[in-house]
Amino acid sequence: MTTITPTTARPSQRTRPTSLSFGGVLRSEWIKLRSLRSTIWSYVILVVLSLGMALIMTLSYVSGGGPAGEADAAGLSSEAQAGLLVQASTFGAFFGQLVVAVLGVLVITGEYSTGMIRSTLAAVPNRLPALAAKAVVLFAVTFVMATISAVGAFFVASAVFADSGIGANLLDASVILRILGAGLYLALIALFALGVGTMLRSSAGGIATVVGVLLVLPLVLQMIPADWVQDVLPYVLPNAGHSLFADTSAAADAVPFWENLLIVLGWVGAPIVGAVVLLKRRDA
Amino acid sequence: MPERSAIPSVASMITAEGLAKRYGAKTAVNDISFTVRPGQVTGFLGPNGAGKSTTMRMIVGLDRPSDGRVTVNGKPYAAHRAPLHEVGALLDAKAVHTGRSAFNHLLAMAATHGIGARRVHEVIELTGLESVARKRVGGFSLGMGQRLGIAAAMLGDPATLILDEPVNGLDPEGVLWVRQFVRHLASEGRTVFLSSHLMSEMAVTADHLIVLGRGEIIADAPVADIIAGGTRPRVRVRSPHASELADLLAAPEIAVVRSEAGVLEVTGVAASGIGDLAAEHGLAIHELTPQNASLEEAYMALTADSVEYRTEAVR
Repeated sequence: MTTITPTTARPSQRTRPTSLSFGGVLRSEWIKLRSLRSTIWSYVILVVLSLGMALIMTLSYVSGGGPAGEADAAGLSSEAQAGLLVQASTFGAFFGQLVVAVLGVLVITGEYSTGMIRSTLAAVPNRLPALAAKAVVLFAVTFVMATISAVGAFFVASAVFADSGIGANLLDASVILRILGAGLYLALIALFALGVGTMLRSSAGGIATVVGVLLVLPLVLQMIPADWVQDVLPYVLPNAGHSLFADTSAAADAVPFWENLLIVLGWVGAPIVGAVVLLKRRDA
Repeated sequence: MPERSAIPSVASMITAEGLAKRYGAKTAVNDISFTVRPGQVTGFLGPNGAGKSTTMRMIVGLDRPSDGRVTVNGKPYAAHRAPLHEVGALLDAKAVHTGRSAFNHLLAMAATHGIGARRVHEVIELTGLESVARKRVGGFSLGMGQRLGIAAAMLGDPATLILDEPVNGLDPEGVLWVRQFVRHLASEGRTVFLSSHLMSEMAVTADHLIVLGRGEIIADAPVADIIAGGTRPRVRVRSPHASELADLLAAPEIAVVRSEAGVLEVTGVAASGIGDLAAEHGLAIHELTPQNASLEEAYMALTADSVEYRTEAVR
């Protein structure tokens, strides 16, 4: 460590005054997100899960363990072939949702547990731009990474299915829209987790809550035999969310895409609104 | 520096008016008003739990006051267009994500205000963090954490600096560095508000002191006044005729304490008076030392009897 050389304290910013802006806060949050190992690992795991699950599913299908039994590929309609590929491409999302949920919680609770939040809020004293920028960056990066991994999974699945004569065009509306739907779902789950994490300010509490909502809640509800519980089931976050990319056309009582999206947005909006109110009111 | 002296003095002041913070029934800060002026180091002194950190957090808007208001350069901190250019704050040396490198931490902080990487390199150099800038903060010592906090505070080259316990955990070299650094900042005309519970450090660093005790301001005066007002000067006298001298000195306004054989601690009379008295009576004196009152003693006197002090030293 050196002793101070007084001249180095010379003001340098006076010549080029800068000020706080939302663009700057966005850049700041992007730097923060990419400069943590936990972020890199989360997205690596997301991609690996997506490709791996596609591989496992398609391999088990072509070896005769698939849902169609001893499938005769030639007998499948092109719609059914596209459905199979979409299923394989988005299978990883069932596991990936847990990864992005944990990441979404940690993006904010990591700041609370380390004290970083005080630096963040001192730089952005109006606070809401900081949360908004976090949400935008997390949503965008998760959407891009989740979509890329689903597209990657599509190519893995196509490669495995090629010998069986099963194939589909990625750019077919029935394929690409569901792949984008999976990306959208994971990005929204990350926002849901960000909201929960901001409200609870605790990594353990936040992760337990989002995992509870994504895994435990639908399971517990399913075990309750009451009729009204069965009516509620489609409104549970993961159930509505999976309908954004799963093939539900076979089900007679399928809920339309937009309705499912609204349900998911409701689930995401509630903790985000709570986070906004609490962030503005609480001491940091 | 010339560009500093151009700043009108009113442009960089911290002003608190009736500031209070209550947590339920507990009062952390109770209706305090003070002004921190530019061009000098203002020490914020008080025992742990006196409310110093709470006050500093309220200045930068992290804690919401229960009552009253505090402004920086005439406006609430959050109302400034570029807060980091107005105020640099070191509020907690650990207000950094442990998984991020020092460089990336500073880069992210700077980005909020559009401050470029060049300034980030400047503050890293300024605080002597070059060798560890690319390392993750989790492995930093307390001292390096403090330097990083000061680097972050300097990013916006602010006219006002708020430093909460900046010498905490620093080695002697680091303490000296902080002392020179804040003195230099004040000499540039900046406002420096520095908290500490180390009274000895304050005595050599600060020009002005605001002393906080149990959430209230006990004293707000120049350091010299507080030292002078807090204790009465004492003289240490060593003489083979100690007991005779003690008898001669006996008077209502003079206190004599025998600290060890042949040594007297005399309060209420100057060293010259004691020397003259001894010469008059032909008594030999081996030592005659005026004891400078320390800020520490002054501080103890303050907190022990704050009400009495308030009437004479608070302006």
